Amino acid sequence: MVDWLADTYGLFTGWLFEEAVQPAMYALGLMDWAEEAFHWLDFFVFGLLGIGVVYLVCRPLEAWRPVERWPDGRLVRTDVVYTLLARLGILPLLAFVLFAAVQVRIEGLIADSGWVPPTLESTFPALREQPLLALLIYIVILDFGEYWRHRFQHTFGWWWALHSVHHAQTQMTFWTDDRNHILDDVIAAAWFGVIAVAIGVPPGQFPVILLVLRLGESLSHANVRLDFGRIGERLLVSPRFHRLHHGLLSAGATGKNYAVLLPVWDWIFGTADFDRARYPRTGDPSAPAALVTGGWLRQQVEGTKRLVRALRGRDA
Amino acid sequence: MPILLAFAPAARADLVYVINSGEASITVLDAATRQEVRRIPVLREPHHMVLTPDGSELVIADSGGNEVFFVKPETGEVLRRARISNPYHLEYSPDGKYLVIASLRRDQVDILDAQTLELVHRFRPGDKPSHVAFSPDSRTVFVTMQGDRAVAAFDMGTRTHLWTQEVGPEPAGIIWHRGKLIIGVMGGDYFVTLDPVTRDVARAFTLGRGAHTIFPSPDGRSLYATSRVDSRVAEIDPETLAVRRTWAVPGGPDCLTFDPDGRIWMTLRWIGRIAVLDPRGETWETVRVGRSPHGIFFKPRRDGIGGDFALSMPGATSGSRPLATPLPRRPASGAPAPAGITPGSIPAAPAIPAALRRNP
Repeated sequence: MVDWLADTYGLFTGWLFEEAVQPAMYALGLMDWAEEAFHWLDFFVFGLLGIGVVYLVCRPLEAWRPVERWPDGRLVRTDVVYTLLARLGILPLLAFVLFAAVQVRIEGLIADSGWVPPTLESTFPALREQPLLALLIYIVILDFGEYWRHRFQHTFGWWWALHSVHHAQTQMTFWTDDRNHILDDVIAAAWFGVIAVAIGVPPGQFPVILLVLRLGESLSHANVRLDFGRIGERLLVSPRFHRLHHGLLSAGATGKNYAVLLPVWDWIFGTADFDRARYPRTGDPSAPAALVTGGWLRQQVEGTKRLVRALRGRDA
Repeated sequence: MPILLAFAPAARADLVYVINSGEASITVLDAATRQEVRRIPVLREPHHMVLTPDGSELVIADSGGNEVFFVKPETGEVLRRARISNPYHLEYSPDGKYLVIASLRRDQVDILDAQTLELVHRFRPGDKPSHVAFSPDSRTVFVTMQGDRAVAAFDMGTRTHLWTQEVGPEPAGIIWHRGKLIIGVMGGDYFVTLDPVTRDVARAFTLGRGAHTIFPSPDGRSLYATSRVDSRVAEIDPETLAVRRTWAVPGGPDCLTFDPDGRIWMTLRWIGRIAVLDPRGETWETVRVGRSPHGIFFKPRRDGIGGDFALSMPGATSGSRPLATPLPRRPASGAPAPAGITPGSIPAAPAIPAALRRNP
């Protein structure tokens, strides 16, 4: 079954590439980027699959035991726009186009220095024959990096100014995961990318790792009264665990539960709250209306203004 | 009787090595049954491979993993590895002294000592060095520069960059053929010839959008070229460079290898398959391998035929490692060559079972 799915997926992406992407690249004189485009297609298709899977898992859960009910879904629809932009590879594509040339230059400098970057498998040769174990280790390391990025988003004023776009949502659903300022997304991509390059994540595993992390993140934002039990709560971030992080009293530097996939980081670093009884309302009481009820563009502009104010030393 | 059977030497099937660039592995296929017999994990993103000058090892370049590794072609056993910066396409000089490696993403062309793998010289000739081909005297190496619309030439003796000649948008595959170079112009639908002395560039033949690579058949009677946007494979007259026949093979045909029976095995880059084409017929079959298959190598394991059998046949004077004259025939792995074996009279492979024959 897995084999059939993998083959069907391969044939589909191959067809899409041959019929649409490659002819367009040829017409634009971009054939020397064809291999990179073929890899990018994985992000696009995995993004599409990710949205489908997340919807099929989270939507029934939200309908089954919602924490909150709202008279209309206007605020949620803004988050849908965020998700489509972020997960269909459009933002990653922009980042790729912007940074690819820089990356090539940096790699050239590294090559000139004579240093050949290591990978996890070259450091621990036993992992060469254990690709699944290597994948799990990559996920754990990257998740650790995500925990600290998230903590820093709440620690530094300028970064909180950007991240407050994410926390302003008062109607949090599984779509809210991608509600981020575009600069925050760029920083996140760079953060994730630097760690991935440093430990040598295989390009073929990159979309799979992103899919796993994002599935977990979407579920943790879902508007559902759900916890994973006394032990499960300590193994995997649940909707309850993350809702405490989005609670009205948790915004800014006073937060708890920063973990993205594995709560163990909050446990280790003393930021965990495993109170399973509470499902607080979400949002940032100090956020202006533009950040709460504005559309995508208005929220981006407001987030940028807050960043400028923070950099000038005023409150975001 | 059962005991005798148990100790009887098993018939050894020919093997086909396929580099799965999109999932960091090498598929080893039984050429007769088309079944996968082994999958070799690699680090990141392998693309091309080449046989060592003595024919004893297969050298596979993992560009994303910054590694080349050496495989025993008879078994698929990984013998050793070496850390090399971003190896994409590679080729040994015909005299066997040097290994030249093009790094597509780091804009470098490295000359390595073939024995020690020590870096002898590094050129940084421009944007996206792609494929490598030598002159038969080993004095000059030519590299397509995908980002510069050009071919660059380097003197192996003086380690100097001789010249760069524009040939067309995004040039890819390159071979030496009868005193000239033939280059696939991937940003166009045609191949060109480049005279390495006068540097005259002429359009050789038109194949289809995304013209990519070209290979000589071992018998020297044909060249075979591929295009990846218009998915085509063509048989080319080696004398006139006229297109004799064209096959539309969906999936993005890329690299080719030949078996001793004249069949062509090719990677179909975008659909995770290889195709097996018998040019004596009009049909082909496909075999599923890994994601984005790129390099491919056919390893005969019949008595007396080595993996480098093509080097002793007339087609050996063309290609990316062209010889001045074909090598004397040498037996594989010390096995004596059966009496009467000469190029062109190589014993046939086992017939393909009827169940495996299928049309596209």
